[in-house]
Amino acid sequence: MTGANFLQLILVISILIAVGIPLFSKLPPRRLFAPLDPVEEEYKHLLVRKEEVLLAIKELEFDFKTDKISQPDFDALHHKLEGEAMGLLEKIEALEKQLKQKKKTAGAA
Amino acid sequence: MNDIGEFALLLALATAIYGVVSYVMAFRSNRVDVYMSADKTPIIVWACIMVSSVALWKAFLTNDFSLQYVAAYSNIDLDVFYKFSSFWGGQKGSLLFWTLILTTYMMVVHVQNRKQNVRLVPIALAVMMVITLFFLVLLNFSTNPFERLPVPPPDGRGLNPLLQNYWMVIHPPTLYLGYVGFTVPFAFAVAALLTKNLDDGWIRLTRKWTLVSWFFLCMGNLFGAQWAYVELGWGGYWAWDPVENAAFMPLIVATAYLHSVMIQEKKDMMKVWNMSLVLLTFVMTIFGTFITRSGLIQSVHTFDEATLGYYFLGFLGVIVAFSVTMILLRLQLLKSKNELDSFLSREASFLLNNLVLLGIAFSTFWGTIFPIVSEAFRGVKITVGPPFYNQVNVPIGMVLLALIGIGPVIAWRRSSWSNLKKNFTKPILAAVIGAAILFPFVPLTDKSEIFTYITFILCIFVMTSMLIEFQKGTGARMEAHGESPVGALSGMVWKNKSRYGGYIVHLGVVLIFAGIAGSQSYSTNVEKHLKEGDRFELRGYDITFEKLLWIKSNDTKERVVAQLGIERDGERIFVGYPEKEFYKGQKQPISEVDLRSTLKEDLYMILADFKGDNLVTKDDGKTGYFKDASVTVKVYVMPMVKWMWTGGWVIAFGTMIAVWPDRLEARRRTERLKRQEAIFLPAQE
Repeated sequence: MTGANFLQLILVISILIAVGIPLFSKLPPRRLFAPLDPVEEEYKHLLVRKEEVLLAIKELEFDFKTDKISQPDFDALHHKLEGEAMGLLEKIEALEKQLKQKKKTAGAA
Repeated sequence: MNDIGEFALLLALATAIYGVVSYVMAFRSNRVDVYMSADKTPIIVWACIMVSSVALWKAFLTNDFSLQYVAAYSNIDLDVFYKFSSFWGGQKGSLLFWTLILTTYMMVVHVQNRKQNVRLVPIALAVMMVITLFFLVLLNFSTNPFERLPVPPPDGRGLNPLLQNYWMVIHPPTLYLGYVGFTVPFAFAVAALLTKNLDDGWIRLTRKWTLVSWFFLCMGNLFGAQWAYVELGWGGYWAWDPVENAAFMPLIVATAYLHSVMIQEKKDMMKVWNMSLVLLTFVMTIFGTFITRSGLIQSVHTFDEATLGYYFLGFLGVIVAFSVTMILLRLQLLKSKNELDSFLSREASFLLNNLVLLGIAFSTFWGTIFPIVSEAFRGVKITVGPPFYNQVNVPIGMVLLALIGIGPVIAWRRSSWSNLKKNFTKPILAAVIGAAILFPFVPLTDKSEIFTYITFILCIFVMTSMLIEFQKGTGARMEAHGESPVGALSGMVWKNKSRYGGYIVHLGVVLIFAGIAGSQSYSTNVEKHLKEGDRFELRGYDITFEKLLWIKSNDTKERVVAQLGIERDGERIFVGYPEKEFYKGQKQPISEVDLRSTLKEDLYMILADFKGDNLVTKDDGKTGYFKDASVTVKVYVMPMVKWMWTGGWVIAFGTMIAVWPDRLEARRRTERLKRQEAIFLPAQE
C-alpha cells in the first residue's frame, strides 16, 4: 500500500464516520419538523403581512411628505392600510388565542 | 497529490449522491438523525473539491506537465500570477472552478440555515447537491482535469497570450460568482414549489443571495468588457458575441426579478411571475454555459475542447421541463388574492420595466440562437451581428432608461396626475435645458447620433429625478428630526438601505448608458503609416512616432514597442507605448494597446504593424531599439468610455449599501420569532 493509497483510505473512513455517527449513535428519536398546521402557517403569514402593511404605512407617509401623493389619495390609502392592519391584528389575536388554547390542551395531555 | 486530487473528485461524487438521497429521505421520513447525517455532506463535498482544486493549483505552480491540462495551459516561464489563473483558462479547470464556487455557496447556505428553516433547507440543499452532482459527473467521467499524459513534455504549451491580462484573472471568477450564485435562489424556489411552502419565506431567505449574484454578474460583464477593450485591440468593448450575450441575458432577467419581487413582498402578489423569473434566470445561466461549452455557436470566447454540448443540453432540458411542470402543478397555490391599487403607481412602472427587460432578454436570446435556428430550418448558418442587436435593443434600452427616472418619482400603490405633474416638472425642465445646451455641440446627422442625443437628454432627466429624490427625502427628514443636511442625508440612506442603495445603483447604470452612448457615436479613428519623427493630428492631439523599442521579457516573450509622443496645444501630455508581443510557439503576435484615459475621452493606440531591420541592442541583451524604423498605428479617440467603468464602481457602492445588514429588519425578525415561540408548541421549528 502506497502513502497515497493510505491517505485515500483515511479519507474514506473519515467520511464514513462523519456521516455514520448521527445514524448509528443512540439519539433520542426526534422529528425534524412538526406536521404542517394550516393555522400556524396562517399565523406566521399574517405576522409577516402585518409587518409589510406597517412598513407600507410608513412608506406612504414618507411619499406624502416628499410630495408624491395627493392629500385625497393619501387619506384614502392611509385609511385602507389602517383598515388592513386592524384586520390583520384582529386575525392575529384570534389565531393567538386559538393556538394558546391548543398549547394548553397539549400541555395538559 | 494528483492521485489525491483525482480521488477527491470521486469521493465528492459519492458523497453528493449520498447527500441527495439522505436530504430527501430526511425530509420525507421527518427524521432528525438522517438530517444530521445528510447535513455533513455539504462540508465534505466542499472539502473534497477544495482538495482537488489545491492539487490542480499545485500542479500548475510546480510545472507538473504530466497532467494534460497543465501541459496545455501553462509553461515554465509563465508568471506565477497567470499560473494561478490558468486554473480556469480551459474547459476542465473552469468546470472544477465552477464546482468549487458552487460547493462553497452550498456550504454557506448550510451554515446560514443550521437548525432553521428545516421545511425548505433540506430540499434546497438537495437541489444544490443535484446540480453539483451534474458537474461532478462531468469532472469524473468526461473532463477530468487530472488526466495524465503517457509521456510528460519538458515544457507546456502555455496560456493563450490573450488571457495573460489582469482583467482575465479577475473577470472569470467574478462572472462565475454571479452565474453560480443564482443556483441558490433557484434551489430555494424549487424547494418552495416541491414542499408547497409558497409564501414569500423563500424570497426573504434568498433576497441577498440574488442581489449579490446580480452584482457579481454585472461586474463580471463590465470586467469582461474592459478586458476586450484593452486586450483585443479592436477599439471596442462589446460585440454582441454569443458568449457575451450568454452572460448578459441572466443579468437582464435577474434585474427584472429584483424589481418585481418587491411587489410580491409589499403586496403579496405576482407569485407566478416571480417564480418564473427566478427559474428563468437559472435556466439562462445554464444556457450560457451550454453556449460556451457546446461548440455549437462560434465565438472567440468558447473553449477549444467544446464537446459538452449534449450534457448541458440534456441538463437544460430537464431543468426547463421540471420548472414548467412544477409551476403548472402549483398554479392554484401561487395565485394571489391582491390586485394593483392603480395603474398610476410604482408597481405598474415596475411591471412595465419587467416587460422592457424581458424584451431585451428575448431579442438577445433570439439573435444568439438564430444561427442554430436558421441552420436547422434552412440549412444555412446565418450569424446575427451587432446591427441587429443595436437596432432592437437601443430603443428598448432608452425606454428602460426613462423608466429608471420615472419609477422613483411615482408613489407606491397610487399616484395622481397632479402629483406627477408637480414631480416631473423639474426633471423635465432640466432635460429640456440640457437638450438646448447640448444641441450646438452634438452632431445629429444620422439615426445613431439622434439616439445618442436622446440618451443624453434621458440621462439628465434620470439624474435630476434621482437627485431630487435625495434632496426631498433629506428635506423631509430634516423637518421631522431637526437634523443637519449631512446628518439627514446619511440617516435617510442608512435607515432605507435597500431603497437608496438601489437609487445609487441606478445612478451607476445611468453613467454606463451615457458612456455607451458617447463612446459609440462620437468615436473617431485614423490609421497612419509613420517613419521616425513623423507626426499627425487627431481631434486636437499631436501624435509623433519617436522610436521603435525592443524588449526581451523572458525566453518565451519578446516585445516590440512603438513610442508615441502626445502633445496638446504644444505641450507634451503623454507618451504612448502600444506594442506587439511575440510568444514562443505562437504564430501570430498579440497587440497590446496603450491608453490615455480621462473622463472626457480615451486616446486609444494600437501598433498595427512595424518595419525595423536594424536592431541595436544594449549591453544587457534584453533591450534595444530599431534604427530607421517605420510603423503603422491605429489611433482612436473615444469619448466617455471611463464613464462606464466609473458607473461600475458606483453600482458596487450602491449594492454594498443595499446588502448591508439591516438592524431594523433583524430586530423585526427577532420579535416575530419570539412571538411565534411564545405561541407554538415546543415541537415546532
